[in-house]
Amino acid sequence: MSNFLFPRPLDPTPRQAREPVEGSCAECGAEHLMRYPVLSEGGWYMVVKCQSCLASHSREKWTRLGFVSLLTDQLEDGVEMHA
Amino acid sequence: MMAVDVGGTFTDVVAVKDGKIFTAKVSTRVGEVEKGVIEGANELGVADCPVFNHASTHGLNAIITRSLPKIGFLTTEGHRDVPDVGRTWRPVTALTDPSWRRTFGDADRPLVPRYLRRGIVERLKADGSVFIPLDEAQAREELRVLKRCNVEGIAICLLHAYTNAVHEARLRELVREELGDIPCSVSSEISPLAKEYARASTTLVDVFMKIIYDTYSQRLDEGLRGSGFVGQLNFADCTANLIPAAAAMAAPFKIVFAGPAAGTVGSAHFGAVINQPNLLCADVGGTSCDISLVTNGQPFVNTTFELEHDLIVNALSNDISSIGAGGGSIVAISSSGDIKVGPESAGALPGPACYGRGGTAPTMTDINLLAGILDPDGFAGGKMKLDLALSRRAFEQLDTPLPFDARVRYAYDIGLNNIAEGIFNIAVKYGIDPRDYALMAFGAAGPLVLPALADLVHVKSVIVPPHPGLFSALGLLSGDQAYTLSRSAYQILTPDVAPGIDAIFSEMEAQMRAGLAAGQEIETQRSFDAQLVGQTWETPFVAVPDGRIDEAAIRQMIKNFHDAYAARNGNRFEAIPVQGVTYRVRAVVKTAKVSYPPLKARGSEPLKPVGSSVLRYVSDQEEIAQIYRREDLCAGDVVMGPAIIREALSTTYITRNQLGTVGGYGEITINRKA
Repeated sequence: MSNFLFPRPLDPTPRQAREPVEGSCAECGAEHLMRYPVLSEGGWYMVVKCQSCLASHSREKWTRLGFVSLLTDQLEDGVEMHA
Repeated sequence: MMAVDVGGTFTDVVAVKDGKIFTAKVSTRVGEVEKGVIEGANELGVADCPVFNHASTHGLNAIITRSLPKIGFLTTEGHRDVPDVGRTWRPVTALTDPSWRRTFGDADRPLVPRYLRRGIVERLKADGSVFIPLDEAQAREELRVLKRCNVEGIAICLLHAYTNAVHEARLRELVREELGDIPCSVSSEISPLAKEYARASTTLVDVFMKIIYDTYSQRLDEGLRGSGFVGQLNFADCTANLIPAAAAMAAPFKIVFAGPAAGTVGSAHFGAVINQPNLLCADVGGTSCDISLVTNGQPFVNTTFELEHDLIVNALSNDISSIGAGGGSIVAISSSGDIKVGPESAGALPGPACYGRGGTAPTMTDINLLAGILDPDGFAGGKMKLDLALSRRAFEQLDTPLPFDARVRYAYDIGLNNIAEGIFNIAVKYGIDPRDYALMAFGAAGPLVLPALADLVHVKSVIVPPHPGLFSALGLLSGDQAYTLSRSAYQILTPDVAPGIDAIFSEMEAQMRAGLAAGQEIETQRSFDAQLVGQTWETPFVAVPDGRIDEAAIRQMIKNFHDAYAARNGNRFEAIPVQGVTYRVRAVVKTAKVSYPPLKARGSEPLKPVGSSVLRYVSDQEEIAQIYRREDLCAGDVVMGPAIIREALSTTYITRNQLGTVGGYGEITINRKA
């Protein structure tokens, strides 16, 4: 590991709080489900994932500012802009 | 000997006994494929057959439809998205579009869901040296997660493992310890070749095929033995060469695309019988027209193939291009009001409107029924009735102001032109002149539609072989038993790399001999893929001298490369060094093949038609075509068009500008009238 030019950071980094969800994973049976936002292809999603095997249990489109829609979000969604 | 070609709808069975060819067609049993195969084998009597050759598309269909078992994928940490990334190909229009997302390949419909792709802490360098040792504790942790997820198999593909298998081998031991004896494919054994994505996708396909075919192969073998079969069960690979069942199950990714390849090999074999070494082979089924090439008696072979767009398998395969044009191709009205034909297909279910199975869209089969070419009472050997009224209604329902006659006539011409365009594109791709090639027309719909193309494509002639509806199955009795091994090692060809290359060939040949029965007579062929230094694509199958690889052999390999490069590309660049990439060994065991019985010549009795049909929509005016039965034809007969030749599983249509000559082995050679 010491050979890496950029080793894994040891200092605390910003973290997104994860909200526990009741129930067990349908894939591996672990009772360790969490809800949290992720950024992936297609933008932001609010997901519920098993923290043991990382299987996704729900995945819904999500915006970072609730009902406030940013201009960039509109661009990502392909909304046409008019002068 | 007997051969079976399992398709999505029908299972074709052919047997050769005492020099005669017997055929059967049974329905494919989805979920119990082996039962359909055994039923077909019993229909023709499998007990006294010395060999049973098999090809199936059900593994391929499982991948295309993603009806796959749950497996885990282990790769170097940080590389688990390799199946998504593919070859990083994107269309030109997306080059400057950051929002573009892949809609094809694994990204859209993953073979393995992302949570079952687990990164393993380890790293090899490109030269095979260990950069980060395998973290066994972390690997065990990941394997326990996969065990809790109840995976049925494991694929292992670590970075640079083709240069050093040490981490993959240890990882497989850990799989055995943690998950027990489940199917496990390792890239350094399955496909020890450079280029990570192709190696990964090949390993994934291999483990799927192990799960799908292993039980199937055992059940098939037991079922056949139960029917009295005591011979050798072989599986065909993607070049339609034959591999004994046990060897095929060791690397079943090689058998995933066998069915289509068999038609090409069957064409090459029959072409040799009738002295036609240059062939365009066209297999027209319900959905597609698969076109391949035979030049100087040899099929055009690729080093890889795509199961679907950008889903690659590192296996030698006959190069086959598919056009979305078959008997089930749907006639529709485009948004601009034009008639278009295909590429959408009605498939077998609901099928063309005339099948009466709920299909309401008109298809090419409906056109041929309305045209008077197909017999509504004798379709598929009389097992199926076609409903002319349903075909008519389907065309009447098209949303177009064109009169009925024009709808059918235009659709017929457009359907033919689609196939003609596809054949032209393939001829251009390979740089061949269609006038030097005969078009071998097979598949149930091949003889129906392809002869009419002779006026559009100007091929030398159109040949309808015996048993065209089951010709791919006959191709399984036309290949040799063959074994192939390959290994990658990037080395610029200089005298000092000779010992290394010699060692690669010696090891592969020893491995191959170990897998063969003692005393088995084989013919070994060596070749290598290489590139000019700086290139990223290889020139494949360059010849390698036999014997020890020394300085003289290296010189010969370099010369062979430049010759092969010039033959493919028209240029020589002898000042640029040559880099060897992949080294290949192929062992061929000569195998008994189908021999076509000669057709008797006609005696004093002249050839008589059994009826006539009024043809509509195929030209500007109605024509009367004579109808013949294929079994009535004798060698030397000449059939003047317009004519229809009917047999159990196929119909040949000869246009009014053509004549068909029956050859010595029952083939019908169709040429333009002088």
